[in-house]
Amino acid sequence: MLDVLIVKIFNSIRWRLQIWYGLILVTVLAGFGFTAYQLERGRQFRRIDDELQRRVSAVASALRQPPRNRGPNGPEDRPFDGPPSEDQPPGRPGPEQPFSDRPPPRQFGRGPGEFHLQPQHAALFDESDTNGFYYVVWLRNDQELARSTNAPAHVPQPARTRAPLRGEAPGPQSPQQRNQFRESVMAMPPGDMILVGHSIQPEMTELHRTAWKLAGVGGIILLLGLAGGWWLASRAIRPIEDISATAVKISAGDLSQRINIGETESELGRLASVLNSTFARLDAAFAQQQQFTSDAAHELRTPVSVMLTQTQTALNRERSAEQYRETVESCQRAAQRMRRLIESLLELAHLDAGQQQMKQMRFDLGQTARDCAELLKPLADERGVKIICDVPSLDCVGDPERLAQVINNFLTNAIHYNTEDGQVRISGTSENGATLLTVSDTGMGIAAEDLPRVSDRFYRADASRSSGNAGLGLAISKAIVEAHGGTIEVASELGVGTAFTLRLPNREG
Amino acid sequence: MRILVVEDEPDLLRSIAQALREEGYAVDTAANGEDGLFNAENTNYDAVVLDVMMPKLDGWEVLSRLRKTKKTPVLMLTARDQSRDRVKGLDTGADDYVVKPFDLEELFARLRALIRRSANQTRSVIEIGNVKIDIAARTVVHAGEAVPLTAREYALLEYLALHRGEVVTRTTLYEHLFDEDDSTLSNLLDVHVSNLRKKLGAEFITTRRGHGYCIE
Repeated sequence: MLDVLIVKIFNSIRWRLQIWYGLILVTVLAGFGFTAYQLERGRQFRRIDDELQRRVSAVASALRQPPRNRGPNGPEDRPFDGPPSEDQPPGRPGPEQPFSDRPPPRQFGRGPGEFHLQPQHAALFDESDTNGFYYVVWLRNDQELARSTNAPAHVPQPARTRAPLRGEAPGPQSPQQRNQFRESVMAMPPGDMILVGHSIQPEMTELHRTAWKLAGVGGIILLLGLAGGWWLASRAIRPIEDISATAVKISAGDLSQRINIGETESELGRLASVLNSTFARLDAAFAQQQQFTSDAAHELRTPVSVMLTQTQTALNRERSAEQYRETVESCQRAAQRMRRLIESLLELAHLDAGQQQMKQMRFDLGQTARDCAELLKPLADERGVKIICDVPSLDCVGDPERLAQVINNFLTNAIHYNTEDGQVRISGTSENGATLLTVSDTGMGIAAEDLPRVSDRFYRADASRSSGNAGLGLAISKAIVEAHGGTIEVASELGVGTAFTLRLPNREG
Repeated sequence: MRILVVEDEPDLLRSIAQALREEGYAVDTAANGEDGLFNAENTNYDAVVLDVMMPKLDGWEVLSRLRKTKKTPVLMLTARDQSRDRVKGLDTGADDYVVKPFDLEELFARLRALIRRSANQTRSVIEIGNVKIDIAARTVVHAGEAVPLTAREYALLEYLALHRGEVVTRTTLYEHLFDEDDSTLSNLLDVHVSNLRKKLGAEFITTRRGHGYCIE
């Protein structure tokens, strides 16, 4: 169930879009949030570090002050930058300013407890606040000189580093993080160590709060973004869903459905237009096919009706041999008509499927036309129609038998639809790369609105079935000529006559 | 009963006409719509069998023109059994339709039903006194015994029975019992009437002098 859902989600473009969109949004938001957090953290730490620095300087200046119980020229007075030795008592240089090049004042020893911050600096250390700044000062013999009351119980003495040499400005080392404390250490000549620290608990709490705020805002933005993305994806996908819904209806059999195109210029609009025109063509082809099948069935119904009524009437009672003979003859006519129809249908089906191979041989189309005219002369005589054959030698390439079939069809139509004492004229020419053969009659002609339909399957000028031809002849001719790469042209005038022209392109054979 | 058959396929026209004649109908034929319409407008047929696909005038056109002047029952012969064609036929005023290819028996049954309905007779058995006429089986029973009748005699009896109580003129009877090919000898009708009286009783058909015949 779940895996089906997952597969479904991953197969859905909308979901894929949404997932990508969500991933990108999460990355951007996370990057932004992380940067903001880092900047804020850095700002807090720089502030703390600056504060630490100030206080280290304050403690250092206090350390440089002479102890209150000794004179400035005490016995332990010695040069500031004498080499430190372990047995020497602690002594301090005492320049008023830490970074001054002035020669230091005389040094003096200092014992435990002899340390007092200058009053203006005492305010920097609020000793009642356990989270405030604290300091610890060690003498160079590792003895603790002073510590503020709010200093944590175990402040490890930092590793002793080299005291700054003469000319080197004594500066605090960069602050270090120890658990929840941030501490700055400064080595003072001759070997004293100052440590100023600050619990960063409140800042960390503040930073955590900031982080949560950022996460919260980021989450809200993510949700809004995802909702917006879903909306956008839905909007983008809606035309596709329209297309798909229409396609589903069409595949269910309703070929009249079309996609409703709002904007024709967008990519999807153009796709929909293309699909719509494809659907229209399919619809037309399908309707044509349906019409064809229906027409074919219709053509078969009449001969079957004849056979049924004839045989049923004949069998109703005893008949004379003559009556039976009539019935059988009538049935034979009906059966022959059906045979012709079936042959024509099969021929068309083969031509449609491209299964009829046209021969490619060089022959004289004029001679073929003359042969056809000769063949149909009896039929024409029967109808009182005169055939005038005025065709020169026409060299062309194609299938002589199939093209003879086309000419026969032209001639049969011309004779059939002609008037009594009418004429059928066959003429032909060769002109720039094409061979033309025209069969014109002096018959009733075809109405202009019917001209485009004359080669439609089952089209007949008079909607009658009795003529015995099913209206497939021209359709077959058209298919044959098109298989040769040629065309059939029709010109007609009502009451004057009709001319069918066969146009074949000249090809190398 | 006189029927007009309009059909452009000659073999079909001939065999339908022959079969109907053998059923005792007087049958006129027309090979195209124009002739068919002319006949239908100028003769009072009991029914018209009309093909749809015809040269010159097709069946729909013949029907719609005929409906302007006549209520003659029309049975359409269609080659298409799509319902829109049937609907079109019935809407244009056709009374029934038969789809090709059809069985002759079905055509006959539908024609009988059409003629019966147009005479406002809903049942196919008509009882008059002790005479029972079964229109479907074309049999007549008198006092419990089957009466053998010629096709013409039956047609005359059926026509009078369907128009029971009406006085039917000789002209009307000629029009409905004989087709255009019959030689209408004036005494032919009297011969049939007298034969029927012999078989069913002298009082069965009454003569209204100067008017015609009647079954009370």
